[in-house]
Amino acid sequence: MKNYELKDVPTPNLLEDMFPYSLPPLIEFEGTIHEWIDGKNVEFDPADVRTRDIHITDTTFRDGQQARPPYSKEQMVRLFEMMSRLGGPQGVIRQSEFFLYTKNDRETIDACRALNLRFPEITGWIRANKGDFRLVKEMGLKETGMLTSSSDYHIFHKQNQTRKQAMDQYVEVVEAAFEAGVRPRCHLEDVTRADLPGFVFPFVQKLERLSEQVPDHMKVKIRLCDTMGFGLSYPNAAEPRSIPKLIWRLRNEIGISPDRLEWHGHNDFHKVHINGASAWIYGLDALNSTLFGFGERTGNPPLEGAVMEYVALKGALNGVDLSVITELAQYYEKVIGTQLSSNYPFVGKDFNTTRAGIHAGGLRKFEQIYNIFDTAALLNRPPRVAITDKSGSDGVALWVNEYLGLKGDERLTVMKVAKIFRWVMDQYEKDGRMSSITDQELEEQVKQQLPEYYNKYKKN
Amino acid sequence: MDKSEIKSRVEKVTALVLKVDPKDISPTANFAFDLGADSMQSIELIAAYEEEFNISMDEQKAREVQTVEGAVEFIAGYVK
Repeated sequence: MKNYELKDVPTPNLLEDMFPYSLPPLIEFEGTIHEWIDGKNVEFDPADVRTRDIHITDTTFRDGQQARPPYSKEQMVRLFEMMSRLGGPQGVIRQSEFFLYTKNDRETIDACRALNLRFPEITGWIRANKGDFRLVKEMGLKETGMLTSSSDYHIFHKQNQTRKQAMDQYVEVVEAAFEAGVRPRCHLEDVTRADLPGFVFPFVQKLERLSEQVPDHMKVKIRLCDTMGFGLSYPNAAEPRSIPKLIWRLRNEIGISPDRLEWHGHNDFHKVHINGASAWIYGLDALNSTLFGFGERTGNPPLEGAVMEYVALKGALNGVDLSVITELAQYYEKVIGTQLSSNYPFVGKDFNTTRAGIHAGGLRKFEQIYNIFDTAALLNRPPRVAITDKSGSDGVALWVNEYLGLKGDERLTVMKVAKIFRWVMDQYEKDGRMSSITDQELEEQVKQQLPEYYNKYKKN
Repeated sequence: MDKSEIKSRVEKVTALVLKVDPKDISPTANFAFDLGADSMQSIELIAAYEEEFNISMDEQKAREVQTVEGAVEFIAGYVK
């Protein structure tokens, strides 16, 4: 047993190297990760993400639109512009993929192009069908995704094909892409439920042989589609569900570089974000995502979560403007009319709102106790308290001070807000109220009970 | 202001806020245990002392005062 001695220190150790507050908490690693593959111990160095060009790709307008009413052209252009600002000039949000099938799809691409933004680059999405390839050529895109389903569930039961027929069809479309000078990105649909050595790896090896004929910027990219959310990030999970093993084999046995590998997840088992982040850590560069995770059924990796993870892994913003996440959420709610759940991380109405009086007391004394990072500076969202009978005098004082914008010694004590606190408690104890006190009601109380402060700080 | 006046005014305010009979208020009476003040009333009591004596007290220290005589001593430190 190891003996741990209490270290009574004169000043607190706030672990600020890991929790800088001016950034989301940093993700740091100690040592390598061990995975057991074919009876051998294989090592991954997770700190490698600091130096690799990990980035985010977007499918808000493709997978994201499959799960909701379509966006208008104007909405898509506005979202595209905001994504560009969010990802910044280094292209942390590197690409965005679009449908090409309708006139509206194609006009939207033209309108996004007209913005002349460097990032995200626009790519297409088609079925693995030579006929569909005409659309990519007409739009003049440099890269397109194509559906290359990889499990027998899809090949046998959806496509009514044999594995050879499926592979021949996919290869034919890839060759057509090369001929047209368009980079193919093969979406290995349902890969976490596929026969990896019996179909996926032979297919990818075939693609690698085809790629030998083209320059680097044209080589086939591989998107690993965890279509049903079956992927597992746990060390030593069995194949085909193991994300570490899948990435390791593609990189080490087939020789695909990380810049040509991408993860696309689904949230059927609540694993969507961590699986995506783990895919980065286990050695691929591109994480495919959608704004607020909207996507088929349970959705895709949330793009804003991926951006936050990127900053935490890199330990720097690298041009990312996190405040655009707040703008995007407001746009969804006010213009698109999509309400985000109030407890949704980073954007929900209550993501940094506390109702508990004891938490409010902590917030009043030292904001960092109950705020995840400087949400006011990074997201334009200062921490808030929502007032109920559980908020306590500290909660009321915090609300009033935030409302009046008082800082430091100017801040009112709980004694100064005692009458408002009494009014709040009477709402519940005498009137049997069941709902939270609204901001408007509290503003009225400040006017009535603290007129000198209201007149000084809020009037005009 | 002398301490007897402070004591008299503290007792008056305490009786009013906690709705207790002034004769039950002894110098050693504990606000919570003897006079039944809950956490909300404790805040209201301190707020009422501030209003009565026209002073602003240190919140943390004021909340640590537990008895009537403790309140008299504490307030005496603020009034001239």
